[in-house]
Amino acid sequence: MTLDDYRLDMMGCSRCSMCKWVPLNQVKSWRYARSCPSISKYNFHAYSGSGKMNVALSLLDGRIELDETVADIAYKCTLCGACDVSCKVYRDDIELCEVIEELRELCVTEGLLIPEHMIMIDSMKKEDNVFGEPKSERGNWAEGLGLKDVNSESADVLFHAGCRFSYDEDLRGKVRGSVRLLLDAGADIGIAGKEESCCGGRAYEVGYRGEMDNYADDVVARVKASGATVLVTPCSDCYSTFKYFYPRAGHELGVEVLHITEYIDRLVKDRRIALSHDVPLHVTYHDPCHLGRRGEPYLGKWEGDKLLRPLSRKRAGRNGIFDQPRDILKAIPGLKLSEMERVREYSWCCGAGGGVLEAHPDLALWSATERIREAGATGAEAIVTACPWCERSFIDAISEMGEEMAVYDLTELVTMSAGIGGE
Amino acid sequence: MMTDDVYREMESVVGEENISREPAILDSYAFQPFHRAEPGSWIHRPAAVVLPGSTGEVQQIVKICHRNKVSYKAHSTGWGAHSGPGKEGVIQIDLRRMDRILEIDEENMYVVVEPYAICAQVQAELMKRGLNLHIIGAGSSTSPLAACTSHMGMGFTGVSMGYSGRSVLGVEWVLPDGELLRLGSLGSGSGWFCGDGPGPSLRGIMRGWAGYDGGLGVFTGVAIKTFHWPGPREPEVEGLLFDTKTEVPDNFKVFLCYFPDYERWADAYYRIGEAEIAYIMSKNPIGAMIWAFTPHLMRKITDMPAIKTALKAAQHGCHVMIAANSPGDLDYQVKTLKRIIEETEGVLIDVKPPFESMLWWSGVRVSAVQAIFRPGGTFFVGLGGDEAVDNTMLQAKFGEKIKQDFIDRGLIYDDLADVMWGGLYEQGLFNHQEEIMIFNARDPRQAKAPEEFAKACARTAVEEHLGGIGFALFGGEKMHDLFSPVTSDYYKWEKKIKETWDPDDLSNQTFR
Repeated sequence: MTLDDYRLDMMGCSRCSMCKWVPLNQVKSWRYARSCPSISKYNFHAYSGSGKMNVALSLLDGRIELDETVADIAYKCTLCGACDVSCKVYRDDIELCEVIEELRELCVTEGLLIPEHMIMIDSMKKEDNVFGEPKSERGNWAEGLGLKDVNSESADVLFHAGCRFSYDEDLRGKVRGSVRLLLDAGADIGIAGKEESCCGGRAYEVGYRGEMDNYADDVVARVKASGATVLVTPCSDCYSTFKYFYPRAGHELGVEVLHITEYIDRLVKDRRIALSHDVPLHVTYHDPCHLGRRGEPYLGKWEGDKLLRPLSRKRAGRNGIFDQPRDILKAIPGLKLSEMERVREYSWCCGAGGGVLEAHPDLALWSATERIREAGATGAEAIVTACPWCERSFIDAISEMGEEMAVYDLTELVTMSAGIGGE
Repeated sequence: MMTDDVYREMESVVGEENISREPAILDSYAFQPFHRAEPGSWIHRPAAVVLPGSTGEVQQIVKICHRNKVSYKAHSTGWGAHSGPGKEGVIQIDLRRMDRILEIDEENMYVVVEPYAICAQVQAELMKRGLNLHIIGAGSSTSPLAACTSHMGMGFTGVSMGYSGRSVLGVEWVLPDGELLRLGSLGSGSGWFCGDGPGPSLRGIMRGWAGYDGGLGVFTGVAIKTFHWPGPREPEVEGLLFDTKTEVPDNFKVFLCYFPDYERWADAYYRIGEAEIAYIMSKNPIGAMIWAFTPHLMRKITDMPAIKTALKAAQHGCHVMIAANSPGDLDYQVKTLKRIIEETEGVLIDVKPPFESMLWWSGVRVSAVQAIFRPGGTFFVGLGGDEAVDNTMLQAKFGEKIKQDFIDRGLIYDDLADVMWGGLYEQGLFNHQEEIMIFNARDPRQAKAPEEFAKACARTAVEEHLGGIGFALFGGEKMHDLFSPVTSDYYKWEKKIKETWDPDDLSNQTFR
């Protein structure tokens, strides 16, 4: 696909600005009515979902040149998909996020590169991770857990930790706890250790599609060699990449892909995890974009007029993972869950996605701060989520804000309730 | 002309992050495919875009423009070609940084808003205090300030709340030369509570019937009359639109009413108005509704003449919502409605869940109308306006014929040629109707339809003495010249006001 393949999508924008707001049915206050971090921070219409399509169409029509302003518009966006959800409440024929993705790929192919993204891509090429950390240290997080090494032995479940959980030492306890929980439930788990590579999703989102293809080939080969029937990841970014971007690019993993919240939900419902200990916390749950609205599975390419596309083929966000994390939280005794105003497919983004954390950290921090304020408005003492990127963003925002709110990975609360002691 | 010096002067007012003349930024303001008769999506690219954050900044920007003879155009949410520049060299003033609700006065029942607070936000805050406001049919993503001060103002609650022009109380108005005028009680320092003083009362000049669409300066604040909301303070609603789930409160009822013909439908409207019942009354064209809700089904139906005939039998009707303050009030309103429907030989359908949930909340929140963009990507409005009920029915009859001709020629979607979108206002004082046609602007043949449709509608309206000048707004000078001589020379008077208040024609009025 190229940007030109989306010309009709762009021409179809009615400039209604729904993309700037949560779906109208769900506006609950003045304060939390907005949906898009980009337009909310930068204000010029060009930074909205609609505006990005207008700019892309203007490029195609030869009205403007591809320049740094266009790149600024294209990349000051977390690609969170909130605009897409609000647009698709009313429209079947516009793929807003795909237009943004195509615009970014055009920037890359035309050499309009963002230095911070080049560093990230270079890191990926050298060390197979987005941080430039040594590849040899990728599996260090799992030391002492006694996990199988799928490079040399088979396992039912391949656990893909992802770059953030592999290298962010502040989050290490969370990922180790989640694996101990699964082991305790009797799961046969293996990891690829230092051979695990980045999923490539971040490269794809910033316009370097070929990079993701390289990683996809690598991941597919490793999954097949492992003999696993299920791939479980605690990272929402990786999950979305495996569920959507890989099959869209023609890479089939050939196994069931589950986010850890889906897997735990099964284990709880199968009574393999018993949530028996009280967790006396008042929490609110943040839907990670890549697990929620962007976590929908790929349903195949729609050929032809999108106006004729049935609803079941529209990527409108509603089939993401929303209920399982909530079911788990509700099953934890003593825990009180209060919802924020913007939830599920119209959730506000943590700010970390789409290459923003790397290139525009001020936007990432601003977006996370906005979410922490919303979480605080519920009266909750902690924000729970299911993605290491969101957790990192919130921890940093809370520190910057001088707030007291705690940040939990959902698996931590399950671990507490299951009575599995911390390290 | 917008020179570098003028740009720098404006930049010093708003800061460099709130002004731009980058082509990419500007072109996002030049894309305006909606509410225009001529084909295409682009309008004139503004010379710059500026984002003031306060009334003071707006004044300074307008004064700079006035001093340097630079045209400007302000918009709030910016939906529609009338929001953008109508010529070259215009500064776009985007008011989105002025987005606050300044005050909610519960006792005196008004809300004061800036230009970019949208209806859904304002409504959500008002409901928490037992209040509601009139929202225009374009939906709750629109600016209530714009609807009150500058553009039309028709919506579902017109029967109980009137149109937006009736809700205007105090106004803060930056005139075309940058001076600040405060209307109503605000003008005498007495607060926002009254539109007619003590202080200047110039609402007629400010907006006339349909508004100047930004042609008389910039409105930076308005107090809007609010109304009692007898529903829940914080409605619990699941779903985004078609999947809406909610408990409809016991003191609300949602009905669909159908009549055998235009005449008995009009009779019912008059009688409902006289009885002073109903919270919402809205006529939604049956064909357009099916297109919006189930476009795939409607594509099949258009090849089924018998089904089409059966559906079209429901064209003379409306959606009625009753909101009551007590069981007795509910009983009275429902009995009265039933009696009127019976005596006008109509059919009354008591809508049940889950459709009731959707009709109730999308009616109150005004969140479903935008689905009219679903089937073809856009729509256009021709014949229509605000007239006595009988007259709007007459418009609808002629409109039906015009539309059928366009359908037969394949220029627009087959929506059963059912007109009209609209509803009763102010307990029967007038009816609003819009003849909506759905088309695909990306189809080169259909893209030309609105222009021809607008002309056909205008010609018929004048020749048949139908009134209905409301949509001359989008037709430009020629359309006004056509309608004005048969409508009390309104355009002559409008131009006189414009020439007096803005002699240099700096506050750009796109379609004049």
